[in-house]
Amino acid sequence: MNAVDVKARPGRPSGFVPISILLAMIFPLLIMPLAAIYFFAASSGFEGFIDTLRQPDVLFALRFSLLIAFATALINGVLGTFTAYVLAKYQFRGSKALSIIVNLPVAIPTVVVGTSLLLLWGPIGILGRFLDPLGIRPMFAPAGVLLAHLFVTFPYMLGAVKPVLDELEKTYEEAAYTIGASRWQTFRYVLLPALRGGLFAGTLLTFAHSLGEFGATVLVSGNLRLRTQTAPLYIFAQFEAGNIETANTVAAILATFSFLLFFLLLRFTQKGSKREQE
Amino acid sequence: MSITLTDISKRFGDHLVVHGINLEVQNGELFVLLGGSGSGKSTILRMIAGLTAPDTGTIKLNDLDVTNLPPQKRNTGFVFQNYSIFRHMTVAENIEFGLRIRKAGTDEKTQRREELLDLVGLTGLGSRYSDQLSGGQRQRVALARALAYNPAVLLLDEPFGALDVKIRAQLRESLQEIQEKLNVTTILVTHDQEEAFELADRIGIIEKGNLIEVGDPEELYHRPKTEFVATFIGGGNVLVGRVRKDQIQLGPISLPFPKDAPVHQEGSPVRILIRPETILLRNSNFRLARDIKLSVQGQITERIFTGSHQRLRMEVDSLQGFWPATSGYGKQLTRIETIQPNSPTDEQFLPGQSVWLGIKKYHVLEPTRLKVLICFDPKTNENASLEFGCRLAESARGPATLLAVVGSDISMDEVKSKFEQTKSGYFSHLPNMETKARQGNVPTEIILETQEGHYEIVVLGQQGKSPGRGLSMMARQILTSINVPVLLVEASRPKIERILICTAAGEPGKMDVLVGGRIARQTGAQAMVLHIPHPESSRVALRQIERHLGQAKDTLEALGVPTEYGIKEHAHLVEGIIQEAEEGDYDLIVIGASFQPHPHQLRWMDIASQIIQRTNRPVLVVPTSF
Repeated sequence: MNAVDVKARPGRPSGFVPISILLAMIFPLLIMPLAAIYFFAASSGFEGFIDTLRQPDVLFALRFSLLIAFATALINGVLGTFTAYVLAKYQFRGSKALSIIVNLPVAIPTVVVGTSLLLLWGPIGILGRFLDPLGIRPMFAPAGVLLAHLFVTFPYMLGAVKPVLDELEKTYEEAAYTIGASRWQTFRYVLLPALRGGLFAGTLLTFAHSLGEFGATVLVSGNLRLRTQTAPLYIFAQFEAGNIETANTVAAILATFSFLLFFLLLRFTQKGSKREQE
Repeated sequence: MSITLTDISKRFGDHLVVHGINLEVQNGELFVLLGGSGSGKSTILRMIAGLTAPDTGTIKLNDLDVTNLPPQKRNTGFVFQNYSIFRHMTVAENIEFGLRIRKAGTDEKTQRREELLDLVGLTGLGSRYSDQLSGGQRQRVALARALAYNPAVLLLDEPFGALDVKIRAQLRESLQEIQEKLNVTTILVTHDQEEAFELADRIGIIEKGNLIEVGDPEELYHRPKTEFVATFIGGGNVLVGRVRKDQIQLGPISLPFPKDAPVHQEGSPVRILIRPETILLRNSNFRLARDIKLSVQGQITERIFTGSHQRLRMEVDSLQGFWPATSGYGKQLTRIETIQPNSPTDEQFLPGQSVWLGIKKYHVLEPTRLKVLICFDPKTNENASLEFGCRLAESARGPATLLAVVGSDISMDEVKSKFEQTKSGYFSHLPNMETKARQGNVPTEIILETQEGHYEIVVLGQQGKSPGRGLSMMARQILTSINVPVLLVEASRPKIERILICTAAGEPGKMDVLVGGRIARQTGAQAMVLHIPHPESSRVALRQIERHLGQAKDTLEALGVPTEYGIKEHAHLVEGIIQEAEEGDYDLIVIGASFQPHPHQLRWMDIASQIIQRTNRPVLVVPTSF
C-alpha cells in the first residue's frame, strides 16, 4: 500500500456521539434488568439461596425443565434434520407451502399454540374426546408439555440445518454415490459431518427456547406443582404468591443457565464462520 | 469395448438435451467430448456414471449392461469441476473413502493412499484439509480419490475449468501421464478445444445433443466432415459453391474436386474448408503451381496482432455460390481470415491494402442434407407454410431455420414468445430446428439470411404470393437476385410422397429436375417428370422431348428416386399441369422459372406465376439461370 492510497481514504469520523447514545439506550433496556436478577438473588444471601434450592418444588421445576428441554432438543433435532433434508433435496408439489408451514410456529403467539393444543388434545378436544375414554389424557400432563415445546421450537433446528444443506452442492453427494457409498453411507459420512455446525447450533437453540418456554406451557400443563410445573411456571407462581425472593433465586439460576448456553452457541458459531472464511 | 453407448437420448421437459448418441470407447483410451455450454456433453457423462437416467438407449461398461444400475454399482471414478472434496475429511481420508466403503483393510488403505498421493504429486500432504490446499491440489485429490478403488472408467467433467491457465497446463500434463500409466479408460468433457487436442486420443464433437463427428484430433482438424466441426475447431473459412460439370463452382472460379473428396451430386451445394494457415499472402499474383491451388485478390479489412502471428481478415469479391446472373444485389463479398507469421523482415500487410491470396489447400466437406429456411410472419396466424416447411425439414432430416423478420413495431420478446408457442406446436421434436429473428425490411433480411446461411430452399407463405400476379415481388427478388429456389405454400399437405416435376420444351435447364430430385431423395418421395408439349409439336420434336425425359429419369434414378415420366397432350400448358397435379394428387409441384432476358424463356416466370394462382398445392419455383 502506498501513501496515495492512505490519503485517498476518508478520515474516520469520531464515534463518540453515536456510541454514547447506543449505551444510554441499552443500559436501561437490557443491561439493568439482567443485573437486577442477580442483585436481588444476592440480597437474600448465600444461605437463602441454598435454602430455596432445597425446596422440592424448586428442585422438581428445574429438573423437569431440563428434562423437557433435553427431550425436546433430541426429538426436534432428529425431526428437524429430517425435515430439512427432505425439503432441501426433494422438489414436490406443495414443497414450498410445506416449508412455510413448518416455519409458522415462530410467528404464532405461544398462548395461541397452547390454546390450539388444548382444543386438539384436551378432554373435549377434537382428538382428545376419543382418547379420553381410553384413559389417554396428554393435556395437563408431562406429555402435553413436551408436545407444546416440540411445536414451539420446531423451526429452530430446521432454520439452522436447511441453509447448510441448501448450500452444500449436490456434487458432494453425487461424488459419494459414484465412489460407491449408499444413500445412508452418504448421509452418515458426507452430509452429517458437513452439517455438524448447523446441528449443534440448532440443538442449542431448541434447548434454550424450550428451557424458557412459558406461554404455551402455562396453558397445556395446568401448572400442577410436582407434576407439570416447569421452572418459568414456578417463577411466575411464586411471584403471584408474593414470594419474590424464591422466584428470584430460580430466575437467577435459569438466567445463568441460559447465558452459558448462549456463550457456548456464540463461541461455536464464531468458530464456524472463522473456518469458512479461511 | 470399455464404454458402449447405444441410442442414448435424454429430455428435460420439452428440451431434448441428448439425442440418439452412439459411441464406443476402447480400452485404455482417453476420449474427449468437446462441445459448447449446454450442448449436452455433461449430461452424457452423468448418464454413464448413473447420476442421470437416460430416457432411451443402453449403456455398457466393460460389456456389462449398467443402464439400470445405480451409480454405486457402476464402479466409475467421477471428477467434478468444483472438486467436491469432502471438507471435513483430510486428504488421506478423502482418498481412502472408496476403500473404506469397500471395507478394505487398514494396511491396504494406507498403502494405496500413499501410492496415489505419489501418483498425483501430493506426497506428504495426506493430513491436510481441503481448505489448506490450492485449487489445483484439490483437483489432484479429487483425481486420486476417483482412482483409489480402480474404477472401470474414469469420467472427468470439465475438471480444469475452474483453474487458471498455468495450473491447468500442469494438471493436463499430469492427467495424461497418470492416464497412460494406469491405462484406465477415460472420458473427459470440455469446452476447451486446445485441451481436447492436447489430451485426446479421439475427440467427439457434441452440438445440441448430437454427436456430430468423432475422430482423432488431426483428422478432425484437417479433414472434418461437417461445417460445424470445420468452424468449431480452429479458425475455418467455409466457402459454399455448387457442383457444375464435376467441378466446384465458386463464384467466377472453378476448382477440381480433390481425390479424397466425398461424392457430390451435380447441382448440389459444395462446402469447402480453407484453414487460415494454408493461405499465403503476396503483393503480386501467384502463379498456380502444385502448392498453390487458387489465387484471388482481396482487400485487408482488419489486422490483429497475436504475438508470434498476425490474424488478418480480408474481403474477396464473391467467391461463394453460383456467379449471379444479375449482379449487384448489394455487394457480395466473401470474408476470409488468414494467419500469417510475424516477421519484421517480411512484407507488411495493413488494413486497406490490396493483396493476393494464394490458397495452398482446400478440403471438401461432406454434402449436407437439404437446408431449409422457413419464413414466418409473427403478425399473422398463418401456419400452412410453417407446417409444410417443418414437414419438409423433418422428412429430409436436414437443418432448418425458422426466421421471423419484424419491423420496429413488434418487440423481440413478443417474437420470442411467439416462437415458443410455435415450437410446442410444430417442431418440439425437430432437433435440428433453429429459430432466428431479424429486424428490418422483410425481403432484404430474408435475402441476407439466405445468403449468410447458404440455405437451399426458402419457404414462403402468404408473403410469397400476390393477388393477380402469382409470385410476389419478394419471391421474385429472392429468385432473381440470389438464385435460391422458393417454396410457396398456401395449404399444407399431410405428407411428402409424390412430387411432380414440370419440364417443358426449350429445356428449362436441369436445375428443376435436380432440385426436385434432391428433395425426393431426402424425403423418400417418388417423382413424376411431366412434359406438356406444344400442341403443334412435330414428331421429331416429340422424340427429342422423350429423350430429354428419359435422361431426367436416369438422373433421378441415379439419385435413388423412383421416377416415372409422362408426356401429356393438352391445349393449354398451365391447364395441363394443374390437371395432372389434381389427378395424381401430388404433394409438391416443382417448376423451373427462368428470369434471363431471353424471349423464349421469359414466359416461364409467368407460367410459374399462373400455376401458383391456379392451385393451392405447394409449389417449388426453381430459378433456372444455371
